[in-house]
Amino acid sequence: MSEARQLPEDELFEVEINGRTCEAREGETVFEVAARQGVEIPVLCHDTRLEPAGACRVCLVEVEGQRRLQPGCAWKVSAGMKITTESDRIEKHRRVLYGLYLADHKLDDAGLPVETANANQLRMLAEKTPPLQLEAVEAPRRGRPEDENPYIKFDPELCILCARCTRYCDEIEAVNAITLAWRGSETTISTAGERGLLDTSCELCGGCIDTCPTGALIEKKAPQILPAHAEKVRSTCNFCGVGCQLDLHVVDGKVAKVTSPPVGETVNDGNLCVKGRFAYDFVHHEDRLTEPLIRREDGELHPASWEEAIEVAAKGLLGVKERHGSDAMGFVSSSRCTVEENYLMQKLSRTAFRTNNIHQCAAT
Amino acid sequence: MTNSIDEIRDTEMMFVIGSNTSEAHPIIAMEMKKAVGRGSRLIVADPRAIWMAGIAEKHMQLHPGTDVWLLNAMAHVIVTEDLVDHDFIAAHTERFEEYRESVLSYTPEEAEKITGVPAQDIRDVARLYATTEKAGIYYTLGITEHTHGTDNVYALANLVLMTGHLGKPSAGMNPLRGQNNVQGANDAGATPVFYPGYQNVTDPAVRKKFEQAWGVELDPNDGLNLNVMMKELAKGKIKGMYVMGEDIVISEPNVSQIEKGLNQIEFLVCQEIFHNLTTQYADVVFPSSCFAEKDGVFTNSDRRVQRVRKAVDPPGNAREDWRILADMARACGYPMPHYENPGEIYDEMAALTPKVAGISHERLDERPRGLQWPCTDSDHEGTPTLHQDGPIVGKAGFQPVAYRPSDEMPDDEYPLVLSTGRTLYHYNAATQTRRSAGPVAKQARNFIEIHRKDAGKLGISDGETVRVSSRRGSVEAMAMVSPRPRRGCVWMPMHFAESRANELTNDAGDPITQTAEYKVCAVRVEALTPEPVG
Ligand code: SF4
Ligand code: SF4
Ligand code: FES
Repeated sequence: MSEARQLPEDELFEVEINGRTCEAREGETVFEVAARQGVEIPVLCHDTRLEPAGACRVCLVEVEGQRRLQPGCAWKVSAGMKITTESDRIEKHRRVLYGLYLADHKLDDAGLPVETANANQLRMLAEKTPPLQLEAVEAPRRGRPEDENPYIKFDPELCILCARCTRYCDEIEAVNAITLAWRGSETTISTAGERGLLDTSCELCGGCIDTCPTGALIEKKAPQILPAHAEKVRSTCNFCGVGCQLDLHVVDGKVAKVTSPPVGETVNDGNLCVKGRFAYDFVHHEDRLTEPLIRREDGELHPASWEEAIEVAAKGLLGVKERHGSDAMGFVSSSRCTVEENYLMQKLSRTAFRTNNIHQCAAT
Repeated sequence: MTNSIDEIRDTEMMFVIGSNTSEAHPIIAMEMKKAVGRGSRLIVADPRAIWMAGIAEKHMQLHPGTDVWLLNAMAHVIVTEDLVDHDFIAAHTERFEEYRESVLSYTPEEAEKITGVPAQDIRDVARLYATTEKAGIYYTLGITEHTHGTDNVYALANLVLMTGHLGKPSAGMNPLRGQNNVQGANDAGATPVFYPGYQNVTDPAVRKKFEQAWGVELDPNDGLNLNVMMKELAKGKIKGMYVMGEDIVISEPNVSQIEKGLNQIEFLVCQEIFHNLTTQYADVVFPSSCFAEKDGVFTNSDRRVQRVRKAVDPPGNAREDWRILADMARACGYPMPHYENPGEIYDEMAALTPKVAGISHERLDERPRGLQWPCTDSDHEGTPTLHQDGPIVGKAGFQPVAYRPSDEMPDDEYPLVLSTGRTLYHYNAATQTRRSAGPVAKQARNFIEIHRKDAGKLGISDGETVRVSSRRGSVEAMAMVSPRPRRGCVWMPMHFAESRANELTNDAGDPITQTAEYKVCAVRVEALTPEPVG
């Protein structure tokens, strides 16, 4: 993604990041230019798919000529701008800020934000830059009554009110199912009238879970699966024709969770729909066929060995061909199967049965 | 698609016709929403007020099956106002004059009478489309699942050619494929007229190449496509079938005929992950694997070949489909090679298929965004936008098309027009999605969407169970009274085995593709309980 498109010369200008000169263009943010240079600015409320909100102040940088530190995720570059992303002043700011967040967050025995299935980013930040120790804030957070929706769970104690979830729901999914509600220390993520998600415009896309940096929003089905405990296998969604890339999380030989690959890496840009993210229960469903079946004299299907099933099937089909010719044969292949399997099916019908009566199930 | 999915966000205008994008292709819809947010102008043409229509600048709510009229009328505006791209037409097309003549009688005013779309809207949209540089057309089954589906596609292609909206990023002609690997299955030759890579089975030179590679003599004639195959099955002429990964009973139109055929078939082999309505008739059932249990590739709508990777083992004694197929071929007397893995199968196909000759599992493994064909050799990085150098071979011909009414029109006995389709929460026969809690919580049973005025007239209230009948069959469904359909039109999803929309649908096919008319058939809707007297 980093190769920018060729720009007209006059739109390019130079800026300096940590003493290094680099090219930038009108409209870019400090975070974007820095990222292209491989300079990492920590962010928490920022998701590159969303308009910058400048809410969490984790990304503050020094901009020459500006008295105050400025949010790198939102601050626009201009020609000749000199930016510093690491300094004692920034370090001090971060320690205080992280301290404030931690004072109001669920901590583990080591005093770090608890690890969650989302890979708690606050924890990662605190591991890098030791936060100032502050007195814990004892203000219980307001939640929303537990609802019937099968997928999405919210833990207000882990919410840092960055509003990535509500902005995702508004800006990307564009259904506005969830929103910031209440005020002051009671501020929380909720729905209109605290309704259950199934009674809102929510489409169960799970994008709010995906963007949540702390794990306050989490999958009901797989709350306990920490990133370190699963093997991830990159694959392609088997539902519609978009071809979203997925990471299948495998625990004990089972698909336990599905997530989208990082933003910017694949065609779906970090997004998935309800089917791709959640509709994988069928994989390990008890109704799956597990034995070859042959119809016996009693008219019923009975389990059989592979050897026998293949032999009976081959004999049966070859018999039809001998009695009625190739034109009496039909082969139906599937857009649900892989390209290789479709290739083999058409090769089978054309070679072993000498017929072009082969079609996949969907014509479009 | 002639363009890539990532080009959508940069389009300046999108003409979405016959595609309920936010439900059938949610992630493409997201890109469209993003484009709208950036100022792209969205026009939606659909008989229903679908979600995308809500964020569109204009919704052209046409009568089902009148697409050719609408599109020809747009063409009429473009030629009469001389908004055509003369340079593109001269350089890349032929038969423009003949085509020009053919659309002259399709005036927007006449079109209004037939399509129900105001003439002024037709003019506005035609002008907008013709004068916007990055204007893309997006369509799906709402265009193709008609007896005039091919005409619809030609009518769209004509618009694209006359305005030169081809071979440019973010402008083009973009069919969105309904299923994950429809593109890939077609590419692989699972079609009665093509070997892999759209090489004609009737071309002697091509056939010779495949005969040499596969070591057998091949059938020189086109085969039967699925719709015809099903009709021949019903007539008792197809007597042996091997069906992989498809429930032909629920998915094909005019179910009762197919069931009749399956009752008398001599031998049926099914290869499936779940029992379905078709396996009930099988003589042998092979338990196979789902996508998470095997290696291979899928090819998506923008011709992007991407890896499918085995994450877990198939359950019990189930096996990967490619292994079963190879064993079956050998048992049937064809010496199919002993492939070690699907990568080898892909290599065999690529060696015979110039379009994908440069693609291999190894190369795909290095590229998280896959490779888009044409990709002709191992140095080629794929083709995001098709036709950059003009139409691939020679010149593209305009195809004049004349409006033909749908095969079955409403009458006194069956006064409503039924269209069928997919919803966000389910997928085709729903054997997969109906085993997940979310889709079931959102949509547990079959429904029929009906305009509130039609419902009022029939004495039907929201949530009530109704009987829906056509000349071919009848099913029960829950009435969903809504303002979204046109009056006189109803809509039903095709996912529910116990209440099959395809009992109702018409299997009349398009004369060229034979794709069935899932989008238009005449039905009657009745309340189940008679109205109380008095
Ligand atoms: S699941 Fe999707 S639609 Fe539902 S609240 Fe989250 S982001 Fe919004
Ligand atoms: S739930 Fe997560 S994403 Fe939403 S505001 Fe809280 S921390 Fe941010
Ligand atoms: S990441 Fe910049 S303010 Fe939150």
